[in-house]
This record gives sequence, structure tokens and C-alpha cells, in this order.
Amino acid sequence: MTGLIRNLFQYRELVCVLAWKNVTLRYKQAYLGIAWAILKPVTLMLIFTLVKTFVGIESGDVPYPILVFAALMPWTFFQESASEGVSSVVSNTALIKKIYFPREIFPLTSVLTKLVELCISIFILAGLMLWYGMVPTAHIVWAPLIIGYTILASLTIAFVGAAINVYYRDVGQALPVVLSLLMYASPVIYPLQLVKDKLLLQQAAGEWSNALYTFYTLNPLAGIIDAFQNVVLRGLPPDFGAMVPGAILIAVLLPLSYLYFKRAESYFADVI
Amino acid sequence: MPVIEVDHLTKEYRLGALQSFKQTLLNTGRRLIGKPVAERPLFKALDDVSFSIEQGEVVGIIGHNGAGKSTLLKMLARISTPTSGSVKVNGRIAPLIEVGAGFVPDFTGRENVYLNGAILGMSRTEIDRKFDEIVDFAEMAEFIDTPVKRYSSGMQVKLAFAVATSVESEILIVDEVLAVGDIGFQRKCLSRMEGMINSGGRTVLIVGHNIRQLERICTRMLLLKHGRLDSDDQPGKVSKRFLDETTLHPEHGEKNAGLNPNVATGDIEVESIQILSNETVEGTPLCRLFADLQIQIRLKVLHTQSNVEINFGLHNPEMVFMTKSSTSLVEKEVPLSAGTYVVDITIPKLSLCPGTYGIGLAIYDWMRRPLWAGNRLGWLALESPAGIHPLLPQSTLTYLPTDWIVTQSNTLANPIAETTSSS
Repeated sequence: MTGLIRNLFQYRELVCVLAWKNVTLRYKQAYLGIAWAILKPVTLMLIFTLVKTFVGIESGDVPYPILVFAALMPWTFFQESASEGVSSVVSNTALIKKIYFPREIFPLTSVLTKLVELCISIFILAGLMLWYGMVPTAHIVWAPLIIGYTILASLTIAFVGAAINVYYRDVGQALPVVLSLLMYASPVIYPLQLVKDKLLLQQAAGEWSNALYTFYTLNPLAGIIDAFQNVVLRGLPPDFGAMVPGAILIAVLLPLSYLYFKRAESYFADVI
Repeated sequence: MPVIEVDHLTKEYRLGALQSFKQTLLNTGRRLIGKPVAERPLFKALDDVSFSIEQGEVVGIIGHNGAGKSTLLKMLARISTPTSGSVKVNGRIAPLIEVGAGFVPDFTGRENVYLNGAILGMSRTEIDRKFDEIVDFAEMAEFIDTPVKRYSSGMQVKLAFAVATSVESEILIVDEVLAVGDIGFQRKCLSRMEGMINSGGRTVLIVGHNIRQLERICTRMLLLKHGRLDSDDQPGKVSKRFLDETTLHPEHGEKNAGLNPNVATGDIEVESIQILSNETVEGTPLCRLFADLQIQIRLKVLHTQSNVEINFGLHNPEMVFMTKSSTSLVEKEVPLSAGTYVVDITIPKLSLCPGTYGIGLAIYDWMRRPLWAGNRLGWLALESPAGIHPLLPQSTLTYLPTDWIVTQSNTLANPIAETTSSS
């Protein structure tokens, strides 16, 4: 792990240049340019808002569109950086076969690229908050930390996924499906409060309710999305109770994922 | 201390396709219950290769296709890891495994210079500093803000070469990149490579098929043969060995015992071309440097020719003619009426560089239309007489049969130092 940080520092310029390449390349020859980055969260926000008019979803005292947009920001960032990270090694075959630098550069670059796009979304969020007349509180200082944690969660999937993807391209195919399912298991369309009320207050699943809630929060995105909404929109501190199970999972899996990647790394050029 | 140390390096690849996930699971299961597993056969790309390279050496690596040259470079550049053995490298490596790795077609030349520079390990300030020089060398000032996808392939390669060679590193690894651009640019590349080699004691490893070029820039040469290190010696010796071998034991099965002309109208048939020599080496006639070479050609003329021109030449294994001769230079007319003929050719004081040479022969009619022509009609091995070889200057294709006369024209009043000369 210390190796990762040292490499990251030594190759920081390369990571930045490659991320710059990814961002520029994606919007090159497109008239609207980087504005396309916000297309996905904005469209989804509109659709979910439309759906909400048919199915009642309790959104508390925060207007639903902005609540769902604040959920979509970390979610889209996680989803895209994980899936780009997984395909990053295979899609850079030409470089892998020709030149050496630490291979973790590729997943890291993918995450950084998506981070740039996340920053674009921040302007949209700020615009929405202005529209609804919401003022952030001091708790907003948590937001960068929450994004940092999201980065770790994406890297956990990206490292191991990228390494396996070199041998079996199945991973690259399966991941989008798994991630789109995971969206419904994360509090994107509905707020976490809804799950919390159902399971912890109403004990909807009987004696299994508490265990089921812990299982639900094992998904790091559950804690992340709720915390992001709390600190940005509700003016509350993060709900650490909902974050702990996921954080423990990431703390265990990230080093394993990285070690697996480093072990597989030396055969990338032969197998890819 | 050696800069590069390669110790019993072996690299194996499995032949055939990667196994399916199901097969892998099945095999794992079989291994667990102790049953034998069908392994795919192994291929040794490199087999127990050991050598070490000191600082400032310029090492050429040659060998036929699939000999393991590029695999070796990949190990040195850390792109791939050895199956067994070790590679130790002390210093920063700039690999030019292939110029233009990572060029993005949609980017402009300028953007690609920065991107490619970063990939090759240059910092932004370093690229800033060298940018003008790179563009200048590539002769690209006019097109630098045009997307690379609109470049011709030659332009791309020129720019890529300029970037790749501006990396400051102790060790430079080059794979077949000297053959870029047109002749003018190639000369420029070559002199840039030579400049890089001569200044600052850089260690350079070059892989290539242009043996003569390598011979010129290298101080040492490695010959790989089927993954094994076949020889490791002075460039001239190794390249001669390689060329002789490929000619005498061709890899591509074109050992040509018969006379296979490119042109044969049926008016004249060449029945045999014989090199009159008492010695042979592995079945090939052997001649000595500065000795007379005698060749006898037997012809059968089917249709009478009023006047023919016979051209005879010797070419090297790379099919470059070293020298030619023609009957039009010596005789006024050579009329051939139907019948058989014996043509004797004597080349006095053969002064080609030791090596293997092929025979080329062409016969033209009075209108200079070819009647019979062909290359590789026979091979001869040329060696220097014992004792002379170490005295011969290296890196040349022919030797001038020279007379030297050194005479003193005057004496210095006050000689600076006593110089001794052997009489």
C-alpha cells in the first residue's frame, strides 16, 4: 500500500496527463464539449422526478429533484469510475505492451477522469440549490472526505476487476449489469431514511430487521449517498452508523484488491 | 559495475489460446483431487541467456525472426517478467520499443508531444524546454496544431522519433526504429542516434535487421538463435557469422542448389556455373581475400545470336550487388551460333570483405533484351587468409587493393619527441 502512495507521487504528472487526455479526448470534436458530462445525472434526475409523481416516495423536507441529484452525483461517479477502472488496463493494451510504468496508473487515471466530471456536476448542484433557496451549512466540509471515501470504494472494484478482466473479459461485460442492479440496492431513488424507518423503527422483517439493515449498509454506497445528502442538503453531520459496515468492508477489501492487482500485473503484457 | 546484468534469463510462453474460465475451474478441481491436467505445450522464447553490459557500451542484438530479440528487450524494459533467472538494471531506461506508442489520433501534434513525453517519463518542464527542438527536428512546425490523424504515416513516425529520442536517460533501448521516414530523415536519425551514443556515455541496446547499420554504430553485438545466446563478440564478427549462417542454412527453405533464373526466353540455357576452388566450407566453395577467383559457366545456345552481352556480378546476402562486370567492357562483339560454350571468368585479387556472396548472371541479346538472368545462382564463401584478419580495418564492404608508399620529404630541425618506428 505504501508502494501505491509512493508511485502515485512519483508518477503524479503522468496520471494528470493521462486524465487530461481522457477528458479532452472524450469531448473532442463535440460541439457541447464537456457539458455532456452532466447529461447522465440530469436526465436520470428528470426521469426519477417524473416517476415520483406516480409512485409516492417520501423525501422529507428536501425537494425530491435536488435530493435525487445529490444521490446521483456520488453514485454516477462511483459507477463510472469503477467500470472505467475495470476496463482501463485492457483498453490501454498498446501502452501495456510497449512501455513500463506501474500499472495501477490506469485505474487511478480512470478515477481521476471521473472526478473531473464530478466537479462539473457540482455546478449543477449549486444551481439547483440556488433555485430552491438552500444554503449549505458548515457540515459541507465533510463533502470532500465523502468523495475521497467514494474513490476508495471505486478503486476496490477497479483494481481487482481490471486484473481479472485481462484474463477474462467477462468481468467487463458483467460489471455494468451488476452495477445497475446495485443502484436499486443503494438509496438513489429513495432516501436511506425510508429503509431505516422500515427496518429499524417498524421492524418490518421481524427479528431479522437489524441484521438486514446492517447487511444493507454493507454496501458502502448506502452510507456515502446518505452522508452526501446530509452534509450538502440537510445541513446535518454524516450518519456514521450507516457508514461503518461499508467502511469496514472497504478497509478489508481494498488492500486485498490492490495486492491481487500487483501480483497479476507482471503478466499483463504476456496475456492481454 | 555493470549497468545491465542478465543472469540465466528464461522466458516461457504457453502455446495456444488462453483457457476458458470453465477449463480453468475444471483444471483446478482436477489438481485438487490429484488427477493429471492437460497442460498446453511450452515455448521457450528465451533460453538461459546470460550477459552483462558496462556503461557506455552500444550493443546490437540481432537474430532471425522469433529468435527472442524483442522478448529480451521487453524483459529489460520491465514490460514482461522472466519465467526464471533475473534481470538487473541500474539506471533510468528510455524504451523505444516502438515509437509512437500511445499516440492519440484525435490529438494535435502539440498535445501528442506532451502526452507521449509524459508516457516516456519526461516532466512537463522538461518537455517545455525541449519542445521547440523536438518540432524542429521532426520538421513539423507547420503541422504541429493539426490532429495527428491527418498526418501521413511518415510524419507521425518522424514526430514520434523526435519525442522518443529527447528523453534523457542512462540507458536507451531501441527496437527497429531506425528505419523511419525517407532516406534524408533516416540519415538524420542515424546521426542523432550516433550523437546520443557518443555524448555522455549512454548505454544503448539496439535491435534491428539492418545488420550493416548496426555494425556501424555498435561496439558489441549479441546474436540470438532460437532463444539462446549464440555469440557475443565484436560487431563485425557476429554479423558475418549471422549472415553466413542465414545464407548457408536459410531459415526460409530457399537453399538453392539449382539454377533458377528470373528470366529465360529459351534462346540460351545456362547449364552450370562453377566456382573453381579446391576448398569448401559446409559444401560452399571457399575463396581467399586478395586471391584470384575463377568461375566457369557452361552455356547451350539454341538459337543463334548475332551479338550478346554477358553480365556477371556478386551480391551479398542482403541482395545488394557488390560489384559487376560485363563483356561489353572488354570485347567488341560476342556472336554465339547454336552450340555449347564454356565461359571462363577470372577476377584477379578479389577484394570483397570476408563473408558470403551470391552469384548473379545476365545474358542480353544485341537489342539488350534479356535472354537469361538470375540472382542467387550459387554461393561462395570468402575468407581472409590466416593471420591477416586482425589487421583488416572493420566496417567496410570492400577493400581497396592499394599500394602504399611512405617517404620522408624533409626533416624537422627540432623533433618534439623521439618517435620509434619499426622497420
